[in-house]
Amino acid sequence: MSIKILIPTPLRPFTGRQEEVEVDGRNVGEALEGLITSHPQLRNHLFTADGKLRSFVNVYLNDEDIRYTGLQQTPVKSSDTLAIIPSIAGGCCCCC
Amino acid sequence: MPEAPNPGLHSASAGPSRCHEKSPPERQSGAVGTSPQPPWERYSRQILFAPLGEAGQSELRASHVALVGCGALGSAQAGLLARAGVGCLTIIDRDYVEASNLQRQSLFEEEDARESLPKAVAAARRLHALNSEVEVRAQVADLTPENLSALIGDAAVILDGTDNFETRYLLNDFAVEQRRPWIYGAVVGSQGVTFTVLPEETACLECVFGSQPGGMTESCDTAGVLNWVVQYIAAVQVAECVKLLVGARDALRRTVLSADLWRNDFRQLQPPPRDPDCRVCGRRDFMHLRGERRPHITLCGRDSVQIHEHDRAMDFGQLSQRLAPHGRVRHNAHVLKFWLDASSGGSGLEMTLFPDGRAMIKGTTDPAVARSLYARYIGS
Repeated sequence: MSIKILIPTPLRPFTGRQEEVEVDGRNVGEALEGLITSHPQLRNHLFTADGKLRSFVNVYLNDEDIRYTGLQQTPVKSSDTLAIIPSIAGGCCCCC
Repeated sequence: MPEAPNPGLHSASAGPSRCHEKSPPERQSGAVGTSPQPPWERYSRQILFAPLGEAGQSELRASHVALVGCGALGSAQAGLLARAGVGCLTIIDRDYVEASNLQRQSLFEEEDARESLPKAVAAARRLHALNSEVEVRAQVADLTPENLSALIGDAAVILDGTDNFETRYLLNDFAVEQRRPWIYGAVVGSQGVTFTVLPEETACLECVFGSQPGGMTESCDTAGVLNWVVQYIAAVQVAECVKLLVGARDALRRTVLSADLWRNDFRQLQPPPRDPDCRVCGRRDFMHLRGERRPHITLCGRDSVQIHEHDRAMDFGQLSQRLAPHGRVRHNAHVLKFWLDASSGGSGLEMTLFPDGRAMIKGTTDPAVARSLYARYIGS
């Protein structure tokens, strides 16, 4: 089924500036796999070399942290929204 | 013009800094004969808000807040806190004002950029004009494991206005060790995120983002940032800060707030519970406070390198004379700028030097180039 993944600003360069991407999948893992299949540059930003979600990338299914709902095995349904909330460095963002 | 505290790494007092002690509000108009209005008139609209009231205003007046970073978020936070009558603000920033800051860094003016004033100094001037009752401590310094305790002093709450994860992880260590709340905030593009770390109550930064600082390298330098998202996140940080200062802990927001003001997407996300095995808040192992991750030269934005303080007193007058044959030099009491001539091998290189010896070198991302430039013209 098709769900919506919201792409945060720091990752939009890797989705052709798309703010949200529709993907298919039965669970969060399949949905994220669908995302990096259509936008392969995202892989290194979301996953470590051994395929684990990076610690500074938090993924929320309908505002629930997937770390506490079953990680990538968390089932999804078609009205769901997956939000990726990365760590953002910005704040004063001049030259440092 | 009020004299700002002496800028520099060692400008903070050695012991914990103390702001003025709690005292009853000066509410009797007759008590201050020269004042055109009862002193608390300026806060009347805030005092009318029942959860604050006069008792809350007294608490704010007796409070000390530290703002780490005085760029976009820090400017907005400081302006709000000063107007609200928070008695003492410590402003810590290592940088100076540039024209490209003015779009979103609301405390600064064109003249500050022309003078290349350190942001903490420019902020202190402006804040004094906004509310002269507020004690502002300007600290022109890079926050380090060695100086943060002296710089932050006894501040009850620490607000994040930084632009990098090294400093945030350092702050997180310090706040958890000291059991003091700190309020994370970050903005990029039209998006912002904030959450409040309450040591021993909530998850800390490392519980939420893990131990690996950084990763998402796109910052405001490349993705830009809109001034209204800055104001939005800063306002939420200040709201939580005020609640903490007046003891309204039941009113605190305990979610991770993520907002994209362009897309009108507002989310309150459940933070993870405290991780009992978290290095910082579980095992109380304060690696960043011990300085184990700290390099002496850091890349700084797209095109700059910072050489951390050498702890050497600079005589800007003497140095200007020495550097003049090699390029254009300009200095004031706070900062020396040096544009190296192409004939001296420095096409496009610009050095900004602070009184404690710290330098920012623009025009290169190569630490070796920066180091050799510093060694050649300033000293090794």
